[in-house]
Amino acid sequence: MTFLRLDNIKKTYGDVPVIKGVSFAATKGEFVVFVGPSGCGKSTLLRMIAGLEDVSSGHLYIDEREVTYEEPAKREVSMVFQSYALYPHMSVFENMAFGLRMAKRPEAEIKAQVAEAARILQLEALLERKPRALSGGQRQRVAIGRSIVRHPKLFLFDEPLSNLDAELRSQMRVEIAKLHRSLGATMVYVTHDQVEAMTLADRIVVLRAGLVEQIGTPTELYDKPANTFVAGFIGSPKMNFTNARVASVSGNGLVLEHPSFAGGKLALERPSASGVKAGDTVIVGMRPEHLTVAPAAPVLALTLDFAESLGGSTQLYASGEGDPVIALTSGRPDLKPGDALNLGIDPAHIYLFSAAGLAL
Amino acid sequence: MRASVTQAPAKPNRGYGRWTPLWFLAPSVITLLLIGIYPTLFALVTSFRRYNITRPREGFPFIGFDNYVGVLTDSTFWSSLFLTAKFYVTVLPIQIVLGLAIALLLHKPGMGLLKSLARVTLVVPLATTYAVVGLIGRLIFNLDFGVANQLFEAIGIGRIDWLSSQTGAFAAIAVMDIWQWTPFCALIFLAGLSMVPGEIEEAARLETSSKLALLRYVQLPYLLPGLTAVMILRSADVLKLFDMVFVMTRGGPGSATDLISIYIQRVGFRIFDLGTASAQAILLLIITIIISRLYIRLFYREVH
Ligand SMILES: Nc1ncnc2c1ncn2[C@@H]1O[C@H](COP(=O)(O)OP(=O)(O)O)[C@@H](O)[C@H]1O
Ligand SMILES: [Mg+2]
Repeated sequence: MTFLRLDNIKKTYGDVPVIKGVSFAATKGEFVVFVGPSGCGKSTLLRMIAGLEDVSSGHLYIDEREVTYEEPAKREVSMVFQSYALYPHMSVFENMAFGLRMAKRPEAEIKAQVAEAARILQLEALLERKPRALSGGQRQRVAIGRSIVRHPKLFLFDEPLSNLDAELRSQMRVEIAKLHRSLGATMVYVTHDQVEAMTLADRIVVLRAGLVEQIGTPTELYDKPANTFVAGFIGSPKMNFTNARVASVSGNGLVLEHPSFAGGKLALERPSASGVKAGDTVIVGMRPEHLTVAPAAPVLALTLDFAESLGGSTQLYASGEGDPVIALTSGRPDLKPGDALNLGIDPAHIYLFSAAGLAL
Repeated sequence: MRASVTQAPAKPNRGYGRWTPLWFLAPSVITLLLIGIYPTLFALVTSFRRYNITRPREGFPFIGFDNYVGVLTDSTFWSSLFLTAKFYVTVLPIQIVLGLAIALLLHKPGMGLLKSLARVTLVVPLATTYAVVGLIGRLIFNLDFGVANQLFEAIGIGRIDWLSSQTGAFAAIAVMDIWQWTPFCALIFLAGLSMVPGEIEEAARLETSSKLALLRYVQLPYLLPGLTAVMILRSADVLKLFDMVFVMTRGGPGSATDLISIYIQRVGFRIFDLGTASAQAILLLIITIIISRLYIRLFYREVH
């Protein structure tokens, strides 16, 4: 059942289009992540869902009700801001109780709701403190607590973890995931960090410059990126791209040419690439983690530029005639810069894109 | 003059000498001493002397607290002070409410050009000398051609002889004071409103659709420091409010607009009893300080 629906939502500031028509639907209980580079319009989109920003055109539905022009408070959504946005003059308790007080709930219910949220988020000892006496992580918990006490229909998060240090960030990430599971609530989460997107999302919406590039589950985006943008954005380190020439096409397969390929050629079975002709340029994508060092059947013949040991694994930077290639390998291969480096890959893990960047 | 080459510089050249800061500070310090501290000290000393300059032959002997006793037992002093308090509690709430309303209107997003124009206009009454405000007031409240009476005739109330009636004169000086000081309140509150972080205001908008609740619970805490400043400045200013009222009514008719500073001026420069006038002025200074401390204790809260 559709719970949140965006129908061709657009936003322009003056003459500048920022959101250029986004349509999307989420079901009840789903955790949706909007991900994209900075300035692509994620916050704008989220703020339009919250009602903090007017919608220039299009329609917005929450729980079967059109709310395009509804006031923010009447949409029954709550939002966790990047800056936490706690009321500085109120105690933690009052911060969490404010929304309920405004909704004129009975005092006993307010106490119970806040106590419950405080228990879930381990804030019980801090209820009397003012926000300035809290650490960043604690403030973030209070901001989350403030949004859960109201039992909103929709939780919105705008880069809630980006002000935290790395360790706290991964810890809070786990807590948000747990919270989602225990509340079963619908959540929309904005981030520019693909790791957060991959780990939290039921479904990811990849945005670029105000347009949706692809919508799918994390594994769908990883396995079947619709284009080179999504392929490059999802996954870390980034996917390696090589522009290769199609030497010949035969039945289900095709042969690609590039000086970096072992023997200068690469033969692939790829029935889906039937539209390609000999002489075309295609983009070959290989994820660093799929490349293997010194394989039986090398695919790439390169020279090692340098290696970064991460302890358990090693990141290899190599180059041939084309763009530099990154490979991630477990263990510590005994290689020196300048050594020849042969890399192999399971052909099923090779991605192919047209010259325009669309998946083949 | 050049430093000798062998001598290593002890510290980097700051580009100015040791005494340079002194020269920059001196003018303001000297001015402050001359026009602020010296007269205050002079008044303090004078307040303990018999100091009637029409009778210089009696000399100006020190008489202890006699002047203060005289002032505190003077019923005119108390009624002037009471009238001043009445003036203060009449004009200030109106200035605060109107100023807040203007600030809230200017704080709303949209209509950028119009708003910056309005902000500039707000400075005009502030930049106007009190005496000129009084002159404008005399024109506005003129019996025959004043705009106030034109307005009252248009709505069918008819002419009022503002400056010759007791309530009329009080209302007239109150209106002029409100005209002059509402913009100041508006600017102070506007500054306070813009201190509220955008995301905090937005967080509140998600929790309540009531503008009043937003004002009361989220914006007000940011307005309190400004509000305290307004109350302190206005109480000091009303206690010394002289030029505007003097130009408009000279304290009359009767004693309808005989504010405390008008009364002190009369004692000092009509009766020439500078000793008593100084004692009155020192008492006002003490009252101002007490009121300020009180306001700060009661209202001033910093938001962190
Ligand atoms: N009030 C505004 N006026 C004009 N342009 C804006 C405004 N707010 C945001 N933008 C523009 O809209 C684009 C998207 O902004 P935003 O949604 O904040 O991006 P993101 O959250 O993805 O980093 C940016 O290019 C930004 O410059
Ligand atoms: Mg953003």
